[in-house]
Parts: sequence; structure tokens; C-alpha cells
Amino acid sequence: MANTFQLEIVTPTRVIDCGPVEYLRAPSVEGLFGVQAGHTRSMISLDVGEIKVVQDGKDTFYATNGGYADIHPNNAQLLVETAEECNTIDTARALSAAQRARERAKSRTADTDHSRAEAALKRALTRLLVAGRM
Amino acid sequence: MASLKDIRRRISSVKSIEQVTKAMKMVAAAKLRRAQNNMLQARPYANRVRNVLHTLLPQIDRQTLPVLRISEEVGRSLVVAVTSDRGMAAGFNSNLIRRAQATIDELGRDTVDIICIGKKGRDHFVRRGYNVVAEHVDFWSALDFQHAMQFGREVVSSYVGGSVDQVLVVFNEFVNVIRQDVKLEKLLPLAVEAGDNIETAEVLFEPSMEAVVESLVPRHLNIQVWRYLLESYASEQAARMTAMEAATNNAGDVIESLQLEYNKARQASITKEILDIVGGAEALRAAS
Repeated sequence: MANTFQLEIVTPTRVIDCGPVEYLRAPSVEGLFGVQAGHTRSMISLDVGEIKVVQDGKDTFYATNGGYADIHPNNAQLLVETAEECNTIDTARALSAAQRARERAKSRTADTDHSRAEAALKRALTRLLVAGRM
Repeated sequence: MASLKDIRRRISSVKSIEQVTKAMKMVAAAKLRRAQNNMLQARPYANRVRNVLHTLLPQIDRQTLPVLRISEEVGRSLVVAVTSDRGMAAGFNSNLIRRAQATIDELGRDTVDIICIGKKGRDHFVRRGYNVVAEHVDFWSALDFQHAMQFGREVVSSYVGGSVDQVLVVFNEFVNVIRQDVKLEKLLPLAVEAGDNIETAEVLFEPSMEAVVESLVPRHLNIQVWRYLLESYASEQAARMTAMEAATNNAGDVIESLQLEYNKARQASITKEILDIVGGAEALRAAS
């Protein structure tokens, strides 16, 4: 296998060792970026979003709520607070969370925290997106 | 001497207590294993975040980020006391509460906000009229990283909002199964430790080094809070396990001595009966 690099997704509750992968796509705060073997040494802030990992031509998706990526030419580590695979996501819960967040974002009372409601909505939508990849 | 019936009753009550303590010990042991496992799982993440952060921190201007600000003098403090919801764990809670209270009194109780995690600490400080600003109880059995994130957010927002100048955490550190130490740690302002020296000159930061640090700090704090929760949980279970082990042993000793007393009493009563019979037979023979 020529063009692969080692990928690890490290969360506070577990370490997912993805092994040698061909391609990684992750959400930075400035938009999606892709990583292949031989990437320049970099540190990238990750936003809420979807992580795509390509291994042996097969795609795996994870929902994350942010962290950072530490990238070396032949290995990469994603340090994220959560990483949920599509088959572990509770779709019903994500749906109701999205619904709640939407209502909260819409309400015009002074004490609603709009940025928090929006962040919650984004998280819920990401999880739904990833769940739909199954 | 107590009657045979009384002793029998006491033996059976001590036996049922023994069963309860034995069961509690077993439950605590199982929970302890889980907690230790969680601690192990959290370590790689925590170490890496800390390393990166402490490498980058000296290179940026702290004043640009509110979460990194260092107050010249400390006006108000926030003390987080991590206790358990339940007792039956020897000195686990009382040692911690004593230490927390001493710390708070030293700072001046009017200048301290308290966040109580766990029922025992909450009960103690609320009853004594301390300034408890937030409490989190009844979550230990479903302990999850989400809790750490929630508490972390709370702490950060009161620090960034400027209502407190430092955040102290009092928790039980898990040393090993028979030893847990009460520890006091300063969570904020963030102190700089020596990290692994990562060569940063050739690293591409996106969007910028400051932004990376800014997003790392809350995550670092979350994982610290997570560590406090896990250490405390493991300590609680270990303390309870040890306490219940001792209680089970004591119950065994009590049962043994009660059993001895019971046997003596039984012997005595049998001897007395024989004496009665023999005495009666003697009397009959004398009469005939």
C-alpha cells in the first residue's frame, strides 16, 4: 500500500485506531479539508461536522463536535470530544434534539442563548447526516 | 446472661447485615473496575491536549484571550467541591468537606462561590449557609463525558464573565485501592507547565495559532473536569469497597463471638436441665 497514512481518532472515552487509510476529510472551522499521505505538518481546529475516512476504498463516517487535528506527513491524529459512528447514532434522539434546538433558536425571549441553540442544532443535524450514511 | 432466643435473634440480624455489606462491597468493586477503565481510556486524549497546549501557550499573548487572563489580585474565587451522592464510604466525604471548608474559610467565605458536585457536599454547605451557586446531584450512576462538558462550560463562563478570578477544585485523587488523597488543584488561571517541545516553526496552523489555542483551552478544561470526576468516582468506590470489606469482617467477628455465647448459654441450660432431672430422681428415690 503506497499512499496511506496512519490515522487515530482520540476521544476522552476511547481511542479509535483507524489503521492505514488513504484519505481523510474533516471539518475545519473554515470549511472542509482533505488529507492524504505526505500532507504538510499542520495543526487544524476542527468544527462540528462530519469526518469521512477512506480505507481500502471503503468510506466510514463519524459525527464529531469539534476538536483539533494534528497532522504529520505519514500519520494523523484527530483529538475530538466525541466521535460517533453512523450505526451508533440514535436517530430519534437526534431528531428531537434538532426540533428542540430549532424552537429555541426561533423564540424571541431575552433569555434564550441563540448561539448555543444554533450550536445544538448544528450538532443534531450533523448526527442526522451521518446516521443517514449508513 | 441474655436468653437463647435473644442471642439467636442477634445472630440472624448481624448475618443479614453481613450479607448487605458483602453485596455493597461487590457492587463497589465492579464499579471501581469500570471507573479505572474509564480513567485509562481518558489518559491519551488528556495527555496530548495538555502537551500541545503547554507547548503553544508560551508563544501567544495571553491577554488576547479572555479565558487565559490572569488577574493581578484575586477578588472572588470559585471553589468546586467534588463529593459523592451516597455515604457508606468511610472518610471519603468528610475528609473532602473538611479540606474544602478550610480552604473556603481561609479565602473568606463571603468572597467564595461554591459549586457542589454530589449530594454530600451540597447538604453540608447549604446547611451552613455558604454561598452555593450551583449544585449537581444524582448523576454519578450515569456518569458521562457530557457531564464534564457541562460543568466545564459553567466554570469557563463564570471565569470569562469576570465574576471570579480563580477556580479551585477540591477532589479525591485515586492513588490506589486502599489510598485516596484529598487534593486541591487550581483549574484557572491556567498555569504553564513544560510540554513536549513540538517544533512549531514548520507547522501550518489553521486558521491561526491563537485560534487553535482558543479552541483547545475549553477542551483542556473539560478533560480536566472529566479527570476530577473519574478520580473522585474511582476513589469513592474504592473507599466504599474498603469500608464494606472491614464491615463484613467485623460482622464475621461479631457472629463468631455471639455464636460462642450462644453455645455457652445452650450448654448451661442443658446442664441445668440435667441437674433438675437428676435432682428430681434423687428426691423420688429418697421418698420411696
